[in-house]
Amino acid sequence: MRRPEWRWSDLRVLTVGFFLVAAWIALGVRVYQVQAVDAVEFAQRGFDQRIKHERIAAKRGTIYDREGVELAVSVVGADLVADPSLIDDPVAIASLLDPELDMDLDTLTERLGRDGRYALLGSALRPEAVDRIEQIIDDNDIVGLTLVPRPVRVYPSGRLAANVLGLTRLDDGSGLEGLEAGLDDVLVGKDGTRIVERDPGGRAIPQGQFLVEPARPGSDVVTTIDRQIQFIAESAITEAVERTGANWGTVVVLIPQTGEILAMASAPGFDPNDRRTLDPDAIANRAIAEVYEPGSTLKVITIAGALEEGLVSPGTAIDVPQRIEIGPKEYSDPSRHAPSMTVADIVRKSSNVGTIELQQLLGNERQYAYLDAFGLGRASSIDFPGERPGTLEHVSDWCPSTCGPSAAIGYGVGVTPLQMASVFATIANDGEWIEPHVVAEIVDADGDTIVTEPRRRRVLSAETARQMRQMLEGVVAGGTGYRAAIDGFSVGGKTGTAEKYLPEEGIYSTEDRMASFVGMAPIDRPRIVVAVVLDSPSGTLDDGTELKFGGASAAPVFAVVAEATLNELGVSPDLPTDTDG
Amino acid sequence: MAMRTDEPARITLLQRERPLRPDLFLVIPYMMLSGLGLLMVYTASAPRLEALGIPPDRDLKRQAVFVVIGFIVFGVVSMIDMRTIRGWVPAIYGSSLVLLVLVLSPLGEKVKGAQRWIDIGPFQFQPAELAKLAVVLGLASLLASAGSGPLRWDHVARAIVLVAIPAGLIFLQPDLGTMLVFGFMAIVMLFTSGATWRQLAFLSVSGVIGAVGLFQVGAIKEYQITRLTAFLDPAADLQGARYNQYQSEIAIGSGGFTGKGLFNGSQTNLRFVPEQSADFIFTAVGEQLGFIGSALVLALFGIIVWRILVAAVNAKDRFGRLVAVGVASLIAFHVFVNIGMTVRLMPVTGLPLPFMSAGGTVFIAMSAALGLAHSVWLRRSPVPGERAIE
Repeated sequence: MRRPEWRWSDLRVLTVGFFLVAAWIALGVRVYQVQAVDAVEFAQRGFDQRIKHERIAAKRGTIYDREGVELAVSVVGADLVADPSLIDDPVAIASLLDPELDMDLDTLTERLGRDGRYALLGSALRPEAVDRIEQIIDDNDIVGLTLVPRPVRVYPSGRLAANVLGLTRLDDGSGLEGLEAGLDDVLVGKDGTRIVERDPGGRAIPQGQFLVEPARPGSDVVTTIDRQIQFIAESAITEAVERTGANWGTVVVLIPQTGEILAMASAPGFDPNDRRTLDPDAIANRAIAEVYEPGSTLKVITIAGALEEGLVSPGTAIDVPQRIEIGPKEYSDPSRHAPSMTVADIVRKSSNVGTIELQQLLGNERQYAYLDAFGLGRASSIDFPGERPGTLEHVSDWCPSTCGPSAAIGYGVGVTPLQMASVFATIANDGEWIEPHVVAEIVDADGDTIVTEPRRRRVLSAETARQMRQMLEGVVAGGTGYRAAIDGFSVGGKTGTAEKYLPEEGIYSTEDRMASFVGMAPIDRPRIVVAVVLDSPSGTLDDGTELKFGGASAAPVFAVVAEATLNELGVSPDLPTDTDG
Repeated sequence: MAMRTDEPARITLLQRERPLRPDLFLVIPYMMLSGLGLLMVYTASAPRLEALGIPPDRDLKRQAVFVVIGFIVFGVVSMIDMRTIRGWVPAIYGSSLVLLVLVLSPLGEKVKGAQRWIDIGPFQFQPAELAKLAVVLGLASLLASAGSGPLRWDHVARAIVLVAIPAGLIFLQPDLGTMLVFGFMAIVMLFTSGATWRQLAFLSVSGVIGAVGLFQVGAIKEYQITRLTAFLDPAADLQGARYNQYQSEIAIGSGGFTGKGLFNGSQTNLRFVPEQSADFIFTAVGEQLGFIGSALVLALFGIIVWRILVAAVNAKDRFGRLVAVGVASLIAFHVFVNIGMTVRLMPVTGLPLPFMSAGGTVFIAMSAALGLAHSVWLRRSPVPGERAIE
């Protein structure tokens, strides 16, 4: 009799069960749809998002000096990145980090406090800085900062040879200046690829399968630079620039028999490890980046040409007036001299008029041939991106009367300091021109070595070269270059004091001079050629000589660098020293 | 006296001792799901823990402790007579309200914008899980006292109040999923206890009006609505509102028919799937064990719910039947919404999968709920076909 009531109630439970069965069927159908019908598509989508091609950065090649000491090397540093949404106190954290970062405090505070999830605080931080920042993060329990590892270029010798080595870009590490840029193709290597299974954060997972095409490290470059001599040259030129107030100065030290550049110093220099204080004007490698009218140092080409052509010999005496008119121009000698001079005297006294008379004997065509043979007007192809070719117009474009005479005394021709060093190296190397170069060898990742033989070219006979050297010795022994003398060594060289052309005004400066001295020692078989150039030195020596003259400002730098270099190379003195009596 | 002469036969019949034999159709699926859950928690957590340098079985061990406690609670609750439990209902209901208030106080732990946990030593307690049990028991007790026949409106009103108080407290956390559980259980239990179609229609309409009203006054936020409706829109922002569900779907789909095998769940393990040990544990099943594993899990849950409904039909009294129906609706709703969420059949609401999702409170509370239903079965009417009296 109670049955109907129970049945009614059971019916409701049954109804509930019915609905649940329907729900289960719906679930089952949907799961089947996902896992059986659409499974392949879902599997593909999952695969697509897990798999990622990753670049493996190739290690950039190391640059060494000639002894195998590292000058530029890539190490693992990091970028410092912040998630500003996690930074609770931007001001406090900014002040903690400020000493380690290039960014100024205000920018740092602004970046830490900005909206968003990403802010770059420091790029290409060096390993020591990375360690210190990690310490700061640990000590202060800072949340929201992370260090992302990346290769960073480090220059272990600091300022040494910085203008030669140049810089790399902070973003992708490629070469930006100097050898880093010139040899970028060689140094950069080839990035590898890796196919990684990653998690949603983009992190590769250790157990994920991956295929690797390994990165091929960049080649190492061994330079011809000698760190000791480079240091001597840099110290000397830096001191000279400071003392004379010159705009800049440079020293090149060459081995004449091989064309190897032992040192290439520029002042002002810079510290490649500290970009905060980097002055863009201090980066240039002056020895190849500056083109100037050399003045008297260029006289050696015309005189050598006249000797080589047999027109005169060192002892040939010619009448040299105090002034000479060529076409519309008048050339004069600044200091009084005897009306008759030998060729050797002309060199020793650096007579403009005498040199122009020899040019007149030689003629434009032959004069141009010698200027060209000595390598002027062409980059010397030593793998520097900043190397300028200088200016040497073809003889067919010369003005008929004055271009040749002007070129003879070093005007109207633009040269780089390295080219001038190379001219004197040709004389030092018995008349054979050898391409100056700074790369000794390139060693690739497999250890294979590439040595590029420098180009060679005979310009003068050995005899002419010897005669030239003897006359150049006279310049130092009893002429304009006496301040280049070194105790114990026979030295030959030539001073140069060129009026500085002011391109904006289109006139020559009455005050500023390009002061230079290029020389060699010892004179019989020179082991080194040193070129020194100073832009607009000023002031006077104790004896009242104005420092704007090459003999006063550049020659002493030569003496310091050449003497130290000869000692460094262990060259025995060829003259009795003062102390010997 | 005449009355008395009638009574003994019935009393002896009903009070006849019978051995309490466990319902193996209920107990074995329960244990299988728990074991499978442990395995899934381990496979979903170990690779990442190992990569972090943490012992890979850390999460497994933690969950294993909960499973053991849950088994004990299941056994103990199974042994308690429903009539005894009915006496505890006011205390259970009252204390769950107190805990729901406490969790909103500074004692409660705020995680990801929701205040749902109370810290107890190394463990976190979720009062909402206990509240689900309290609502089942409270409603069952209330509606059992209503007697047979169509439900009176005053009982409906009292039922609404009884559910509304904890629901309101949970709304403040906020925990939308649990509120939906309350609503579903209330409807099912009212329906089973004889609510008229008119009453049910009234409840549905007022529920819709209430939800719209809450949205209008700004109590329900736009993003909550977006999250609830995003699954309907296949073109919804896959990196935003639908990201979790999309990743879950990929993981389950990429498992295919037979699965990738244990520990090969790269989508799950790589954390494309969020909360892969907790709310999204079903993705670990789907990816590693494929449709076969998914179907097994669905079947085991189906068997459990079926056994609870059988217990409800065979319950000795109205309270027991309502408790069993409540527990069945509680578990079924969780399973349907949770698995439905992982395969884009339902919105993402954050309801765990009973017996499988990592988590202590939920496992123990669900075990206790299952224990209640089991207790109803153990003390069912001794005579086959015979039903309880009111």
